[in-house]
Amino acid sequence: MTQAVIMELRAVHKSYRLGEHLVQALRGVDLQVQRGELLALTGPSGSGKSTILNLCGLIDRADAGDVLINGINTRTLSEKQLTIQRRDTIGFIFQSFNLVPVMTVAENVDYPLFLNGVPAAERKQRVAAQLKAVGLDEHAQHLPDALSGGQRQRVAIARALIKRPSIVIADEPTASLDSHTADQVLDLMRERGHAEGAAFIIASHDERLTRRTDRIVSLLDGRLQ
Amino acid sequence: MKLVTDNITWMKFAFHNSLRNRRRSLVTVTIAALGTAAILLAGGFAYSTYQGLSEAAARTTGHLIVGTPAHFGTEEDVPLQFGIENSAAIEQQLLSDPAVRYVLPRVDFSGLISNGDKSTIMLAIGINPETEFAVKGPFLSIKEGEILQANAKDTEIMLGEALAKSLKAKTGSDLTLMVSTVDGALNAMDVKVKGVVSTGIPDIDKRLVYTDIKTAQKILNTQRVSSLGVFLNSMDATDAAQQRISHALPTMKVETWLDEAFFYKSVRELYNRIFGALGLIISVIVVFVVANAMAMAIIERTREIGSLRAMGTLPTELIRSFTFEGMFLGATGAVTGAVIAMGIAILLLIFPVEMPPPPGRSTGYPLLITIDALMYAVTILGMIALSMLSSGMIARQTLQQPIVDALAHN
Repeated sequence: MTQAVIMELRAVHKSYRLGEHLVQALRGVDLQVQRGELLALTGPSGSGKSTILNLCGLIDRADAGDVLINGINTRTLSEKQLTIQRRDTIGFIFQSFNLVPVMTVAENVDYPLFLNGVPAAERKQRVAAQLKAVGLDEHAQHLPDALSGGQRQRVAIARALIKRPSIVIADEPTASLDSHTADQVLDLMRERGHAEGAAFIIASHDERLTRRTDRIVSLLDGRLQ
Repeated sequence: MKLVTDNITWMKFAFHNSLRNRRRSLVTVTIAALGTAAILLAGGFAYSTYQGLSEAAARTTGHLIVGTPAHFGTEEDVPLQFGIENSAAIEQQLLSDPAVRYVLPRVDFSGLISNGDKSTIMLAIGINPETEFAVKGPFLSIKEGEILQANAKDTEIMLGEALAKSLKAKTGSDLTLMVSTVDGALNAMDVKVKGVVSTGIPDIDKRLVYTDIKTAQKILNTQRVSSLGVFLNSMDATDAAQQRISHALPTMKVETWLDEAFFYKSVRELYNRIFGALGLIISVIVVFVVANAMAMAIIERTREIGSLRAMGTLPTELIRSFTFEGMFLGATGAVTGAVIAMGIAILLLIFPVEMPPPPGRSTGYPLLITIDALMYAVTILGMIALSMLSSGMIARQTLQQPIVDALAHN
């Protein structure tokens, strides 16, 4: 049976050492994300948005509390198992796109499918369809350097969604874009997210973006408001 | 099949990455190429020296030396005390072996040689002239006169160049040999100088006397020979022929040219150490250069590596990719270096370079660099393996960084 809650944080604490100081990034955070939900995390710098994204993206571990994905408590998973979880179920959209510059647009989008061992013929078909969906089918053989910022972020969205993930982690996805392009990117995330059934967890300062999400969660000093 | 296609994809990725910073890649490839060329040129020179020395040693003694067991290990009280009695029969038996080309009986003896005014020590060898000089080839140079004739009217000898100079002897000069016979008596014989030779080793040339075997036996008052030098169709047949002949002649001892080649062995040992150390130093330099290039590449791509790991790339997959990058750099460098070394070796054949005489020698030699397929294959593969290893190790170490830190890297 498919669970409605795809990601859950239970009483999560996380601290970082910054020089000689211990910074409490999260202080007992509880959060549930529903399947297909578009959730915005807002708050000032240092409020803990990125830390929640890191924990939900399984690229960091909590000091205390539990992080569950699809009902699986990630505390018990090894590094390799976490990597496989990320490979199978999580897509990432970064503020500065983080595309691989030596790979073409098609190769960048293909990469998650290649990692997942999808047969080459199927990969080719899905990449073509995904690029068409984000309006970049004519740029398939271009290198990322040849694209504008908005186009690159669309490639990043296509790359995040191509493997049909349960969750997409997006860290300030519109911060590097002008307002018109940011709107386009957000529309695309909504449209593709709903089409693929993925939940989006988006950290952003951009009110225009957060207004259009399903839910906004505010953070301050490592606590939910 | 999937493994192959996966590896091809990783290789393609690695290949594109290796072209990212072309200047750095070029420096890495150049160092690997120069290292490979240096190893192959030094190795080729050593190899050619070994070949020359081993051929010279084998042509001096024969590929195999047959003698009585005591001949090889015991000092003689009188000449030919441990010589071979029925050499003709053994010679025939040896010639029946399919690998044997010539069998050369030799009589080694020593004594004094005099021109009437001056006497000096000689180390003489009684030989079968026609065959002996034929097999010596370029390793014995006739400086003056002619070679000995087996059935000459006069009793003739050939002198080493330095000995002839010392005795002021020329072709046609009359000299006297004085030796101790096998019975311990003193014997003397007047001889005529037929020619002057040089082995290229002054220490040998100042004592060397060649005479035909019958003259040697006559002056020593014996029918024995010291040993039989066995010349084979090829050097490679030596070990097998030694086993067969040892089996066929159980009362005799059969040694190989290598057992008697003390100069060859000492040169080889010295060169192995020198070129071994050189190879080690070059290998370490290549490892450091490739490792440094990879470390730079990894640091530059820290954030990208963080993204790839976040997307679910296993560290082992990234290590594989970086190892392939090392492979491309190492392989390009190694193949380029091999081409350079081969080019220089061929150029030296077209435009010979004469090397000065080495210590203890009076003649120079052409600088030759052997192109040995096995040596090239081992060096190229070794260079590739070293590059892959150093890249993989650096990648492994760097991938310990947490993904969060890698993504935050500027």
